[in-house]
This record gives sequence, C-alpha cells and structure tokens, in this order.
Amino acid sequence: MAASPASSATETSPDNSAAPAVQIRHLNYFFGTGELRKQVLFDINLDLPRGQIVIMTGPSGSGKTTLLTLIGALRTVHAGSLQVLGQELMGLSSRKLVGVRRNIGFIFQAHNLFESLTAAQNVEMAVELQPQFHAKRTQATEILGQLGLDNRVDYKPESLSGGQKQRVAIARALVNQPPLILADEPTAALDKKSGRDVVTLMQKLAKEDNRTILMVTHDNRILDVADRIINLVDGYIESDETLDTFNTTHDPKNLDQQMFIL
Amino acid sequence: MSILGIKRTPLAWLNLTHDRRKFATSMAGVGFAVLLMFLFTGFKNALYDSQVQVINRLNADIVIINRLKNNMFVPEPFARRRLYQARAFDGVAATYPLYISDVRWKNPVTQQTRPVRVLAFNLADPVLPLPGVQANLAALKLPNTALIDTRARPEVGPRKAGVVTELADRQVRIVGTISLGTDFASGNGNLIMSDQNFLRYFADRGPEEDERSFATADIGLIKVEPGADVDRLVQQLSEFLPNDVKVMRRSGPGNSFEAQERDYWRESTNIAFVFSLLTVMSFFVGIILVYQILYTDVADHWSEYATLKAMGYSNRFLLGVVIQEAVILSVLGFIPGMLISRLLYTGASNAIGLVFLMTPERIVNLYLATFAMCLISGAIAVRKVQSTDPAEVFG
Ligand SMILES: Nc1ncnc2c1ncn2[C@@H]1O[C@H](COP(=O)(O)OP(=O)(O)OP(=O)(O)O)[C@@H](O)[C@H]1O
Ligand SMILES: [Mg+2]
Repeated sequence: MAASPASSATETSPDNSAAPAVQIRHLNYFFGTGELRKQVLFDINLDLPRGQIVIMTGPSGSGKTTLLTLIGALRTVHAGSLQVLGQELMGLSSRKLVGVRRNIGFIFQAHNLFESLTAAQNVEMAVELQPQFHAKRTQATEILGQLGLDNRVDYKPESLSGGQKQRVAIARALVNQPPLILADEPTAALDKKSGRDVVTLMQKLAKEDNRTILMVTHDNRILDVADRIINLVDGYIESDETLDTFNTTHDPKNLDQQMFIL
Repeated sequence: MSILGIKRTPLAWLNLTHDRRKFATSMAGVGFAVLLMFLFTGFKNALYDSQVQVINRLNADIVIINRLKNNMFVPEPFARRRLYQARAFDGVAATYPLYISDVRWKNPVTQQTRPVRVLAFNLADPVLPLPGVQANLAALKLPNTALIDTRARPEVGPRKAGVVTELADRQVRIVGTISLGTDFASGNGNLIMSDQNFLRYFADRGPEEDERSFATADIGLIKVEPGADVDRLVQQLSEFLPNDVKVMRRSGPGNSFEAQERDYWRESTNIAFVFSLLTVMSFFVGIILVYQILYTDVADHWSEYATLKAMGYSNRFLLGVVIQEAVILSVLGFIPGMLISRLLYTGASNAIGLVFLMTPERIVNLYLATFAMCLISGAIAVRKVQSTDPAEVFG
C-alpha cells in the first residue's frame, strides 16, 4: 500500500507512535471577541490511547463539534495544551496545521463528495496527498472493495445511494490509513440499516489496524461499538466511562434502583 | 512502477465540464467577451488600416511629398523636378510620380454627384501593381477611361466595366475594375486612370479649381536598388533636397509615410479612443462574467473544497484549481469567440469597404488579454476559496 505518511519529507508532520493519539490538558475555547466573546469549552482534560473507539455524546450546542475540529487541527488552539499524535497544536502555524490534518481521517455528516468525480477518483484525491501516489487506483479500488462497493468504483455520486455515498466518504478518510479518525455524526443522514453497516465497517477496519476513532453521535443504537463513552454538557466533560458503566448509569432501571437505594 | 505515467485527478477540468449545460454557458460567456473585444479593436484597427491601405499597395521603398502634406487628405503637390533630382542618387533604381485629385462623380443611376478620388500615373510605371491595372493597360490608354474600385461605396452606383457617366462634368467610361477599399480621404471610392487622362480632366477645371500639370506630383515614389540601405538613402535625400519636400520610408515604424498617416488619424480623431474605451469595457465585462462562473463553481462546491482543506490540501492547491479553471475557460472561450469574429470581420469588410484584418499578432494580443481577463477573475474568485474555513464542514 502507500508509503507511510510518517516517512515522507513533505509538510506532513511525523506520527510519534509512542504518544497517545490525543492528549488534552486544560483546554479552553472561546468564540467571538469583546462583548460577544463566549466560552464553549471549559478546562477539558482528555487522553485517547491508541486503538480505542470513543464515542462522544451530549446535548446540542454542548461543544462536541468544536472539540472535534480542534483535535482535527481545523481550528487554532487559544489556551491549554492539545497534543495530536505526539504533536503539540497550541501555537502551531497554519501551514503546519495542514500537515497534521494529513494524518487524520475525517468523516462528516454530509458526504462532501465531488459530483464531478467518480467514487474511485474521490478516494484518489486523498491518495494524491501522499508523496507517492502511483498506485492510487489500486488503493482506491481495494478500499472501496472492503466497503462493499466493488461494482460501484466508477460511478459518480449522483448514481449512488446515501449509504453508498457515505461509504465512499469513509473510504476516502481511511485510504491513507490514518492513525486517528474523527467522525461527526456519520450516520445521521442514513437509514437505520445503512447506519449500522457503516459503523460496523469502521469498527472492523479500526480494530484490524489499531486505529483510534473519536465519533460524535446521537444515535443510541450504535453505542455498542464503543470502548468508551464521553458525555459533554455545556462545554464540560460531564462523564467519561466504559461502555458497561455507561449502560449501567444510563439505564432507566438502574437509575431507579440507585434512587431507591439512596 | 513509474510515477511519470500517473497524473493527478484533473479536478479543475472535471469540475468545469461536469455539468455540460453550465459548461456551454460558461464558454459562451467568455466567447462573448472575446467577440466584443475583437469587434471593437477590429473597428479601431480598420480605421488605421483603411487609411494606409493605398500607401501599402504603392510600389515604392521611399516616398517624397510636399512638406505641408501631413496626411493623404491634404491636396499639396510638390515640384516634380525633386523626383528627377532624386533619381540621380546612387542606390535609386527608379522614381515614379503619382497624381491624386478629389473630384465629383455622377452616379449614372440616381444622377447624384458624389466626391471620389482619382489616382493617376504613367501606365509605363509599375506604380500600383494590382491585377486589375495590369489587365486593362490597353483600355486605359484610350481617352476618358478609368478603372473603378469594386469596393467603392454603393452610393457611386454600379461598380463594373461598361459604366458611362460624368467625372468633373466630363464624360468618362469605366473599362475595368480593381479591388482597393475605401478610407476617409477617398470620399466614396477610388478611380484609377492614366496620367494623360488625368491632364484631360484636371489641367483646366475653371477658375475656382487648382490647375494640374506634370510640373507637380502628389506623391513621389522611389524604388531603391537591391541591397541598398534605405534608411541611409532617406537621410541623404533629406539633406540634399530643398526643404519644400519631405523624404521618408514608405512604410514601417518610425519616420515613414504610413506611420505619419496613422499618427495623423490617431491624433486628429477621437474615434480610435472611443473604440479603445469600448474594448477596455468589454475586457471588464469579461472579468465580471468569468468571475461569476468561477465564483459559482466555488460556491457550489463550497463544502467539497473545505473538505479538501480538512484532508490536508493547502490553500495553494485550491488556488491552483481555480486558476486552472480560469486558463481552461480562456482557451475554450477564445476559440469560438475568434471564429465568430472572423465571420463578422468578413461581413463588415464586404459591407462598408473598410479593412478588417485579423493578423497573427492581433490574435495573440487578444488572447493575452483574454488570458489576463480570466486570470484576474480567477484571482478574485480565489480569495473566496482561501477564506473557506475547513471547520465549517463539520457543523
Ligand atoms: N463559528 C461559531 N461562532 C460562534 N459560535 C459558535 C460557532 N460555532 C459554534 N458556536 C457555538 O458554540 C457552541 C458549541 O457548538 P458546537 O457546534 O460545538 O455544538 P455541538 O455539541 O456540536 O452541537 P450539535 O449536537 O447541535 O451539533 C454552540 O453554542 C454554538 O452556538
Ligand atoms: Mg455538532
């Protein structure tokens, strides 16, 4: 497959594979300036080890997307420390931030595929970020095959279903084998079955290669793929627990029991 | 495996051509701006090119004219003996006088009189090497005969051999045709006759008109020996001949009869300026059109471009895509614009007799203008892409 981004001499920043995928210390974030200045993230502390699948939930407006874009080097960090794949993002120039992004796979709620490109070409656009991309076609068809799109490689998005389009977008995010994958409600635009399929695929690909996934979702049905669930409320991490404890504390029956005991 | 064979996905081309209808509209837009520029520069150039077309047909390397004759319009003849004096010079192969006069011509159909210009010379001299002249030398030797320009204005009536009408209130018979074209100094068109006939019409035209004789000529033509230094000869003749005449190259930049004529029309009329202004306006119309096209592409693919940024593509890459689109548009819009302009040039030239020339140099210049037009639009549209916030795609 492709040369590892870490070995390239371009702007791509190296992946220090000993470091945790993400390490956040005392991160605060504000929108606006002056009187309109509004804090949306408060003293976030968070470690995401390698190979973990983490789901982030929380009410609308609680700052989940903001946190995800900060980790994804799409916004500049104002205060605190944010290390991604061993690289400190605080104070990094925007040119260097571009390099960090190349080690991250993004999956959005909308597929954001170019209508003018075929499924394979959309995926190849990601491969072309690598210094060597002579095998781009093979890489693209291979990953599309793994996502069950063998016979849709040369279709344009307009002739693909919603679930298929989202799978192309996932192929695009995964083709460079990024160590960190960030997904913001990747199943929101899909029906129940396609959503489930997409998440299972992500889980399978991640587990095979020890990748870290941070996924924002409101979809309770897919919580079971997570190793860990973080709940963000009003810009604070309100809870951070394994799937089992999350289930226990959030199960209405258990809640009743606890209240009964108290 | 070789990298050389593997190209990047041609995103600019694919984005531009994906929607065939939009692509056709875009090309039409650029082509329209190109067409406007061709038309306006065409009129501007026609003004100059038409004024010098007779000069450029004259069989001469050097001309002698009256010092006061600062354009073809002014009837200032010079003493013909200056031409004899010039002939004695080393390097001068031959000298020929050309006689010019404006005169009334009666349209044989409507009986209305119109001013035309008569060009006359000794039929033994190769003054105007036009096919029509060569073919009718014998007929032109007969009294009261002339050739008419088929590209003269329609107001003069039928432009063909056999027409019999009045020139300067005297009968004239048209014995053949030439193809020359009109300009502002030629009235409604040009006639050609022998110097002998010229005298018949103009030697004695009554008290209020200038009398013409072979003692004066309007333009003196000088042919140089092969290999002679034309500029040096011009210099020597100017120093030797008295101050009442001007000696200069026939054509070319700098001190030439052609350049003097162009300069005269440039300085004495606003028409060229108006057409230049219209050309510049078409250029800006083009910028706006192309900007609209490119901006729409960026706006339509907003989240896709932002996604590319989020994936790790630099701003420079996106600038490249927009600039490539601009360049593609400039080429694909220019070609149809130019071809249609060609047709219109031919049509206009046939209709009004002015010269509409599409020289390679003018085509290159207008392509460069089109390229600049697209590049400027691209540069403006690009600022929009640059401001794309990759964080916006999450949201
Ligand atoms: N560009 C911005 N400028 C100003 N305020 C913003 C901007 N983006 C988000 N906010 C505000 O920041 C807060 C957190 O927004 P964010 O999008 O991170 O929430 P979220 O948890 O992703 O919500 P949702 O579940 O609805 O997607 C919200 O109050 C929002 O109004
Ligand atoms: Mg959100």
